[in-house]
Amino acid sequence: MTTSTPQPLNPLIHAPARLRILVTLATLNDGDTLSFTRLQQMLDLTPGNLITHLRKLEDAAYISTEKTGNGVTSLTSVTLTSTGRAALDVYTKTLRTLLTGL
Amino acid sequence: MDAARDPNGPDTDDDGSELAPGAAAVLVEQTSRQARRQFDPTSPLAAVAGASVFLLGYGAVWWSMRGQTPYTGPAGWSIAVLYALIAVNAIIATGYLRRATNGVGGRARRQRNAQAAAFAAAGVGAWTFQGALLYLGVSLQIVDGVYGPTMPLIALAAVAAGIAATRERWPQLGLCIAFILIASVSAFFGPLGAWGLTGLGCGLVLLGYAAALVMRQRRPVTARR
Repeated sequence: MTTSTPQPLNPLIHAPARLRILVTLATLNDGDTLSFTRLQQMLDLTPGNLITHLRKLEDAAYISTEKTGNGVTSLTSVTLTSTGRAALDVYTKTLRTLLTGL
Repeated sequence: MDAARDPNGPDTDDDGSELAPGAAAVLVEQTSRQARRQFDPTSPLAAVAGASVFLLGYGAVWWSMRGQTPYTGPAGWSIAVLYALIAVNAIIATGYLRRATNGVGGRARRQRNAQAAAFAAAGVGAWTFQGALLYLGVSLQIVDGVYGPTMPLIALAAVAAGIAATRERWPQLGLCIAFILIASVSAFFGPLGAWGLTGLGCGLVLLGYAAALVMRQRRPVTARR
């Protein structure tokens, strides 16, 4: 019997705010979007903090954002990409493996 | 934020180095449950309001028809009670639905519109059919007494069951199937049975569903191993 060493936890996801962002978006079905305002309310983050984390996740192609409208009426919506869903899936599986090994 | 450190301090880029795997697991479970709850349009209060439509609304109609020989139909006041309760219930359900779906767009929005069209078609179809039965001379005892309290409910519950099945929402699917079974069987017992048994049966099922929702919400969050 061989024992495999568990993968390290993805450092991009293994941060409380980004983990909560991804888990919240993963609760929605594929193709659903969530407005920036609702996401901010749900996670109780400041706009600046949320933007910082969203940028990092978007750079990794874990989420995509879309801005509609102009000026004060503009609306930003966020969606979890298939890459992001897969990355979160790997993360939770790794987490489970780590906890089982404790 | 009882599972991990508060990420809402200054606009920092937390690297999660202090986040233990156990705390991360609790955070995942907690966030997932909170999000599901916030996106869920069902609530114990809405379920209790729905139960009041059956227990009080259907009950009022049943009460007004007791001992009728020959059948003359429900009293006006009882129909007013029923529709008032339906209106209150619709307002409560719409409020919860709006709160749950606020900010949710994309595919979900298209699905909501399609579902509304399916519900409207089922309701309009069932009530139009009721009108056709009256037009064809079927007795009021059957049209208003038996068909009225059961068939529109069965049609709407069938649409809701289809939606619940595709979303794999098993408690809601069970609820809809229970409605269909209760309404179908109660039709065998004439107008009094149709109003009385449908009202009592569906009302009690909804109260049980509300209790189940409360218990689910109170379940503590623990890390799954």
